[in-house]
Amino acid sequence: MIEVKNVTKKYGKLLANDSLSFTVRPGEISILAGPNGAGKSTIIKSIAGLLRFQGEILICGKKNKSLEAKRNLGYIPELPALYDMLTIWEHMEFIARAYSLENWKERAENLFRRLELDDKKNKLGSELSKGMQQKISICCGLLPSPKVLLFDEPLVGLDPHAIKELKNMLVEYKQQGTAVLLSTHMLDSVAEFWDSTNIMIKGKIAASRSREEIIGTGEDLEKLFFEITENNKNTKEEVKE
Amino acid sequence: MKALGYLLLTTLKNRILSLKKKPALLILYLIIGAGIGVMVIVSVRPGIQEPKAYSDIRILYAIIAGIGGVFLYSFVTTGLSTGSTLFTMADVGLLFVAPISSRKILLYGLIKQMATTFLSAIFILYQVQTIRNSFGLGVGAILNLFFIYAVIIFFCQLLSIGIYIFSNGNAERKTLVKLILFGLFAVTALEIYFQYLQNGGTVLQAVFNLMNFKPFYFIPVIGWSVMFMSAFVEGNVIYLSIALLLFLISSIIIISFFTSGEADYYEDVLRSTEIVYNKLQDAKNGKRTASVRRIKIKEEKTGLQGGKGYMSIFYKHILEKKRTSRFVFLDTYTVLAAGGAGLVCYFMNSEYSVYVVLGVLVYIQFFVTVLGKLSDELSKPYIYMIPEKSIKKVVAASMTTLIKPCSDAVIIFTVVCIFSKTSPFLNLFVALAYASSGAIFISYTLLCQRLFGGMPNKLISSMLGLTLFMLVMAPGIGASIAAVLLLPEAFLFLGTFPFTFCCIVISIFIFAVCGDLLDKAEYTGK
Repeated sequence: MIEVKNVTKKYGKLLANDSLSFTVRPGEISILAGPNGAGKSTIIKSIAGLLRFQGEILICGKKNKSLEAKRNLGYIPELPALYDMLTIWEHMEFIARAYSLENWKERAENLFRRLELDDKKNKLGSELSKGMQQKISICCGLLPSPKVLLFDEPLVGLDPHAIKELKNMLVEYKQQGTAVLLSTHMLDSVAEFWDSTNIMIKGKIAASRSREEIIGTGEDLEKLFFEITENNKNTKEEVKE
Repeated sequence: MKALGYLLLTTLKNRILSLKKKPALLILYLIIGAGIGVMVIVSVRPGIQEPKAYSDIRILYAIIAGIGGVFLYSFVTTGLSTGSTLFTMADVGLLFVAPISSRKILLYGLIKQMATTFLSAIFILYQVQTIRNSFGLGVGAILNLFFIYAVIIFFCQLLSIGIYIFSNGNAERKTLVKLILFGLFAVTALEIYFQYLQNGGTVLQAVFNLMNFKPFYFIPVIGWSVMFMSAFVEGNVIYLSIALLLFLISSIIIISFFTSGEADYYEDVLRSTEIVYNKLQDAKNGKRTASVRRIKIKEEKTGLQGGKGYMSIFYKHILEKKRTSRFVFLDTYTVLAAGGAGLVCYFMNSEYSVYVVLGVLVYIQFFVTVLGKLSDELSKPYIYMIPEKSIKKVVAASMTTLIKPCSDAVIIFTVVCIFSKTSPFLNLFVALAYASSGAIFISYTLLCQRLFGGMPNKLISSMLGLTLFMLVMAPGIGASIAAVLLLPEAFLFLGTFPFTFCCIVISIFIFAVCGDLLDKAEYTGK
């Protein structure tokens, strides 16, 4: 479970996140949507414990920077960051060792098989294309089977097979009770499995909805997104006039 | 005006105009220009006292041959792996797709490169006074030296591109190029041996004798450049022309190879350009450039082989080191540093050479350490995410950087001890000083990250960093100066010990205080 309580993050004078509060429950896939520069990556990095912020973030009831929280957390960054001198299988071994995982090999093999990496085990990180690197980054985040998963634009650069497979994995994790927070611009790709969404504009949450709330209203994620962002634009123009 | 001419001239114009917005750079250029002017005026001023005797001019020729050899080797090696480039990514994106003849684009690249090469060779003009005093050469000869240096670099770059186009993806051709390269060096070595047999003396004397040996002049790049310089000094027009023609004809052959129907240089230079671009981007972001050397992975040698939790970072570093050097901590740097240190001690033939070596190596070590494994780790999210205490992760991520100077110190100062003929005790304590400076530099990196990690203003952070550096280093240096002044001569070998002691104590203190870095610092991805 992710609990974000009144989180504010500033980069110098720029207010990237303005008093954000939301929760992602176990077994829930929550989508963070919003235009570029809305502060989505910032809040994800803050939850991952990579940034300083004001407020409180709890992972499974523990402060996000605590070791207990980190054990339950998987983070897949927007840009894959791999080690040039490690093969992709060694990335798995490194993660397994870093998180003190037991019996990880079968899980790693399975991840590799599903993302079609099994014939590239001995390739170095630097030898792979950006898309391949993104797949490894996903494997690194998923290998510890965390209770909380943070994805920052995970679908960018992936081939259609990998996108399909990742979607299946997300649903599986959801069924296993994992809390998933996913930031994306590709709203149609997550339309079939999202449970809740927070649409961010200028560092604030402009709207929050759950799937139950909009069933029968004729709304869908994409419509909702445009409605809110266009409304925001129109309001701004009206103020100007 | 045609597109390429416009591009060249506009780029030049804008570069000059941009100096208006960069007064510091303008001042730097003016200082460089004025410095060269002063050097030239001082060296041609009448009435300047001439030395009684000049050094053997063959020393200068040997230096030119050495520079030629180093450039030839490094550019051919680059040609066999990634190739050099005359172009930028903007050229690739905009020019290569434009309806302009590829030959014209090549000419544009060559002109641009030639200008860059000549500008980069300008530092030679700073040596006017030294070269004049040492070898009695006039401004004309020094301009000639400047010219031949620029020609060597330019030609080697062309050669590198030519080799890349010729051998890319063809193992047999690569072997052929390697054979030719090693053949050239083998012939040079045989010629030195021949001089040694014929004239006796030392190996160094044999090298100097080689500089007068006419067949040596025909060895590509190495011999050609010596032929050019010696012909100018001796006023031998025939050899001067031959040397120039050899460079010119070879360049024309390489360029015609680029533009021949068979070779499509666009595709070939694309990868080289991307690699150079990535290197520049990395340098701009303050990152170390990833090696582009192809590493063969042997299945039986994969895996971290140990480490759990925070220690997995250390084992990962060991594995990464194994990938770059078979002997883990002993790498090319160790060999070059030990070789260089040995040469310095051999030629200086004084006890002070040990301190000179220590000073230079500590200086180099600073840059190696600051860009070391800890900085690398902080640019990736994993170290922040590993569920372990920050101090443990920081120590584990620093461990290889701490061990490397220790293992280097053993090798380097053993060589220094042999060549400087100084006491093993002195070398032991100097080696300890070298090893401990590694610890102080890494703790300094840690302190900077902790204090200025999130500071957006680079100027302020680097100025504060410099002050901090002085504060961190001052106790050790001060204590050692005091020790040298106070110690009796018999115990002077202990002079560096206070420095070592201070480095270790300060490092432990900084690690203890800043060990929580990962809980406090922000991951920026840079």
